[in-house]
Amino acid sequence: MRLLKFGAIGVTAALALTACGQGSATKEVAAPEGKSVVRYLNFSSNDGHEKDLTAIVNAFQTANPNITVQVETVPYANYFTKLQTAVAGGTAADAFELNYENFVTYAKNGSLAELKDVDSAAYKKSLYDAFTSDGKQYGVPESFSNVVLFYNKALFKKAGVAGPTAEWTWKDEQAAAAKLTDKGAKVWGDYQPVSYNEFYKVLAQNGGEFLNADRTEATFNSPQGVEAAKFLIDKVGKTMPTEADGAGTPDFDSKLFKSGKLAMWHTGIWMFAGMADAPFDWDVAVEPGNTQKASAMFVNGLVVSAASKNAEAAQKWVTFLASSDETTKTRLATSWELPPVADEAKLAPYLDQPKPANREAVFTALEDTVLPPVIERQQEMQDLVTTELTSAAAGRKPVEKALADAQTKVNGLLKK
Amino acid sequence: MSRPARWRNLGWVLFFLLPSAIPLFVFTLVPMVSSLWVSLHRWNLISPMEWVGLSNYSNLLTDPMTRRVFLHTLIYVVGYLPIVYAGGLALALALNQRLKGRAFLRATYFLPVVTSWVVVALVWKWLLNPTNGLVNQVLGAIGLPEPGWWTDPHWALPAVILSSAWKDLGFVMVILLAGLQSIPGDLYEAAKVDGSNAWQRFWRVTLPLLSPSTFFVVVISLINGFQVFDQVYVMTAGGPAGSSQVVVGQIYDLTFRYGRAGEASALSWILFALILVITVVQIRGQRRWVHYA
Amino acid sequence: MHDSRRRSTQYSGPETRSLTARLALYAAVLVGAAIMLFPFLWTVITSITPEGSLADGPTLIVDNPTLGAYRTLVDALPIWRIVLNSLGVAVASTAFQLVTGSMAAYGFARLHFPLKNVVFGFYLATLMVPLQVLVVPLFIEMKTLNLQDTYFALLAPTIASAFGVFLLRQAVSAVPLELDEAATIDGAGHLRIFTTIVLPLIRPALATVAVFAFMGSWNSFLWPLVVIRSPEFMTLPLGLSTLQGQFTTQWDVVMAGSVVSIVPIAIVYLLAQRHIIAGVAHTGIK
Repeated sequence: MRLLKFGAIGVTAALALTACGQGSATKEVAAPEGKSVVRYLNFSSNDGHEKDLTAIVNAFQTANPNITVQVETVPYANYFTKLQTAVAGGTAADAFELNYENFVTYAKNGSLAELKDVDSAAYKKSLYDAFTSDGKQYGVPESFSNVVLFYNKALFKKAGVAGPTAEWTWKDEQAAAAKLTDKGAKVWGDYQPVSYNEFYKVLAQNGGEFLNADRTEATFNSPQGVEAAKFLIDKVGKTMPTEADGAGTPDFDSKLFKSGKLAMWHTGIWMFAGMADAPFDWDVAVEPGNTQKASAMFVNGLVVSAASKNAEAAQKWVTFLASSDETTKTRLATSWELPPVADEAKLAPYLDQPKPANREAVFTALEDTVLPPVIERQQEMQDLVTTELTSAAAGRKPVEKALADAQTKVNGLLKK
Repeated sequence: MSRPARWRNLGWVLFFLLPSAIPLFVFTLVPMVSSLWVSLHRWNLISPMEWVGLSNYSNLLTDPMTRRVFLHTLIYVVGYLPIVYAGGLALALALNQRLKGRAFLRATYFLPVVTSWVVVALVWKWLLNPTNGLVNQVLGAIGLPEPGWWTDPHWALPAVILSSAWKDLGFVMVILLAGLQSIPGDLYEAAKVDGSNAWQRFWRVTLPLLSPSTFFVVVISLINGFQVFDQVYVMTAGGPAGSSQVVVGQIYDLTFRYGRAGEASALSWILFALILVITVVQIRGQRRWVHYA
Repeated sequence: MHDSRRRSTQYSGPETRSLTARLALYAAVLVGAAIMLFPFLWTVITSITPEGSLADGPTLIVDNPTLGAYRTLVDALPIWRIVLNSLGVAVASTAFQLVTGSMAAYGFARLHFPLKNVVFGFYLATLMVPLQVLVVPLFIEMKTLNLQDTYFALLAPTIASAFGVFLLRQAVSAVPLELDEAATIDGAGHLRIFTTIVLPLIRPALATVAVFAFMGSWNSFLWPLVVIRSPEFMTLPLGLSTLQGQFTTQWDVVMAGSVVSIVPIAIVYLLAQRHIIAGVAHTGIK
């Protein structure tokens, strides 16, 4: 029987596979005498910076010949699925990466080891303090990036509008966007997603507070909040493409900007590299504020698993990865995210790079930043705020009702 | 049958069943029972479980979101199954004939089944684009209303149903084609001799003899349909405003995004109960319409 | 072996004798096929478009076609290793499911034993709890058995599948009992009936199960994501997922990866199709 033969071959192949699998699985158990292996799970090196991370690992291993770093890289989209399952199974990596938004959840649930005797002077203080919970240091900042206003100089020139300056307010942005939008030519004046991440920022720009001081109650449904939400939502369809135009689909905004059909774009400095070869002149400015300035900042941190048997070596690795000069140099040279170091002189090489000309804006923006409001049930809160705002943007709900509903629901999450 | 006679086969039964029963027990039933245990706890995966008894179930049963996701799932199944079965049957019948290049055609119709949902969803989002998608251009040209599809809460589910049916046509076709092969040709000869026309032969010979395959397609499509996830996740992510969120989508979010694995497990057991009842009803009812050799 | 008889009695669907009807059918089938082919074509085209983008919708003409995306793919991933891993696991999983599935199908269709329906119910029940809720308990179980991060872990959940058992049971049920009885009179036991009579007659169903088993393992994502951490066990869907960045995606490379992942299953289907279609109808007893 041919069929049975096929079956037999398949089963043999499977057994062979299993055998080699077993061989590999046992290898990690035995670390050579006096040496330790640190497993490090990360997302930020995925898709483009794998080699840069390897360079940092090599520098660390040269300086610490007794420690081997085993890197596992998982794309951001699946990172937390992987991480949570590993924590649940007790197989979490010794050290891993957490963005600031998720840090609180892990710190509050006892998944992280306290870091002791860290040289806190090496880090920008606000970033370092972001990784404390209940007075203990559970992580070090690894990198940060912020959001600025990208603009297409050619489109501004063509429309006869003066380019944005650090003094711009919402009104200036709205007026310019209206002049720059040319639906006949399929040119849009502005792009700023209607989402949680944009809302807490415009709220801050308008002097509102998302949560009360002790994070026990949501306070964004205020006159400032309604005005801020309206600022975002009123753009949709007027100066900014709608969902039906493709907004929100993967890479829609970057392609739109790169093809010269978008005049202003609120996005992160991580887009610098991708836009470097855009076939027109563009620059960046600090985002306009309303009653005050506020720029969004995103921070990644490095933590050590509470279950790690190599906590000491793991801490050595994460502090090296966070603040060593090798890391700083690599990050700046490869336009990765910015290093969180306190000594701003070390960041100077960043300003020397060409395009965008006004790189200074990246640092100016840091003078007034706002971190995402964070609660233990972070993802749920982000999802529901985005959903309510999107409903308002699509005209299914008045803005006032959407904000009121969102606030009630967020308060529900804070109670449980 | 006397008792010893009933047990006489036991050796053979074990021989034939154990190779599948053991792995299914170890790698599926055991995790299932574990998830039942998890459903009695509050658990966010990253800290120890906390016993809450049946309160996950009672919370879910009173949460309006539960009713919504079950309703959406039901709408999906009711919309999807007739389209995919009728379409798959028509295809199987058409491609069972001696057409030129039918092997190529069959493979073409099977291509969407093997294409990943990530790609298919992108294509369908483009086809069903409310302003410039191909589908709405055709609808507009013949004077029909142009729905907002995945941007409109009322049309998001139909958009998912349409693309799912399109993708799975080939699946149903392949199963029914295999079923058609096992219908003996002499039955048709006999029917022809009796003077029946092609239509009568379809109703009296093809459909009844295809009933074991039909039964399989219906049972499996219902089991899978109630667990619809991938296409929703990549096409609408449950939106807009939760209007296309389905049960397993909710289970995924609760487990991996919201740190509520206990409730997710409870929800999946409520889903299990529903699928089980539906499947048992079908198995009970099959004697009425399924004809085995 | 049954070729001559099959040719003479093979059913080929309700005859549509009139030429216009045949042409209409053909046209409809061709139009349908074009719609089915379209996404695949789009995938191929995007993969050879320089800086291929999806935002603008598909174009059928590529100005400067390039294989650059495929080169990037080979540079970015140990693609051969990854494909071999996926292939090995998928072939093993298919072989296991054919063996375990056809045996169980015979057991359920031909043997009488107490609580048969209940046992079959348990088989079907394994299909009724979504994988999303099983991965965490299964992962913990694998870890307890010290099997995580192995080839076996990738394979384990697909050694047997109730889907295959069910489909094959339907097929075995359709084999006339008279054939078994005749063989029994000739002194054949269950094993011989199973291998020499039943298996050859359910070839279409076996081929169908093979296609789905292969596909299920080949496309599986969530379980490998959770259970594998060493790069040397990486499977194709895992590898392809790393091509999508947090902020940007090179769609031409992603689409090149999709083509690489579709082609092998298409080949498996084409190989299996011969058996699905050339299935033996009946052996003349009736």
